[in-house]
Amino acid sequence: MPLWFIRGLRRGVVTTHYPARPDPSAAHLPTPPAFRPERLDRALADRLCGVCPSRALRREDDVLIFDVGACTACGRCQETAPEAVIRSGEFELAATDRAHLVKRIPLLREARP
Amino acid sequence: MTHGPGTSPLPATPGTARVTGPSAEAPAGQVERAAGQVRERIASQFGRSLHIRTLDTGSCAVCEQEIRLLAAPHYDLHRLGFFFTPAPRHADLLMVTGPMIRAFGVAARKTYDAMPGPKIVIATGACALGGVYPSDAFVHGSVGEILPVDVWIPGCPPSPLALLQGLLVAVDRLAEKVAGLTFTADTAAGEVAG
Repeated sequence: MPLWFIRGLRRGVVTTHYPARPDPSAAHLPTPPAFRPERLDRALADRLCGVCPSRALRREDDVLIFDVGACTACGRCQETAPEAVIRSGEFELAATDRAHLVKRIPLLREARP
Repeated sequence: MTHGPGTSPLPATPGTARVTGPSAEAPAGQVERAAGQVRERIASQFGRSLHIRTLDTGSCAVCEQEIRLLAAPHYDLHRLGFFFTPAPRHADLLMVTGPMIRAFGVAARKTYDAMPGPKIVIATGACALGGVYPSDAFVHGSVGEILPVDVWIPGCPPSPLALLQGLLVAVDRLAEKVAGLTFTADTAAGEVAG
């Protein structure tokens, strides 16, 4: 406490930065998925859209549209296709524009065997 | 950043006095520069002392639990200069959770109007961002339908760390990160992990 007081007087700054050091709990937070485009074809994309409970996934031709803002990080897509969907580990997702949260994932043009 | 009409507490200084109402024939670059100046001044005023009012528009209350955790010693919101206030009239920032139920639309608008300008609105959680409940007879479906949202924080619920990052993005103390993310795993890393 005295140290903080002296530091505040000397530097004129009473607040600190975020985060002061990496937070150990961050590794366990639920995070939106990340996709492996080289393993995603149209059929698999349709299956993923089907299991998504919050309308975060939809397909437009050869593009999987992933709305990070709508994602609840429930992990169902990851469970459905663990070979093509993994944990992204990203939780610092604040956006100044809603459109920044809509991601376009390119799909394979031909079906995977 | 959003300004209430004629309610800006910013002192008028030469060069920035008329920036909120540029004439239609002003060149685009000039407007952008003026907007940048206003943003900087708001950020410098809000940067280290900001009062937050939370507004629940029909959420399941888990977002509220996470917001309450911000004040716990582990996250210690106050070290960053943020404070919660019980009245919108004292608030600089409105943190809105929930899918904006139709019965609450007018109250949300009144809350926003009661705040002094300049003011910031943060939509918090997947419901508020339009993810979980589609617009129907009961909900507007997104906070953006009623209020001008400045920062969107995804998550169900967003963790306190994500909320802190969102608050700091709102006052321009951190840069937005998500615009540069692709949410694709590169092939090399995929082969190793797969």
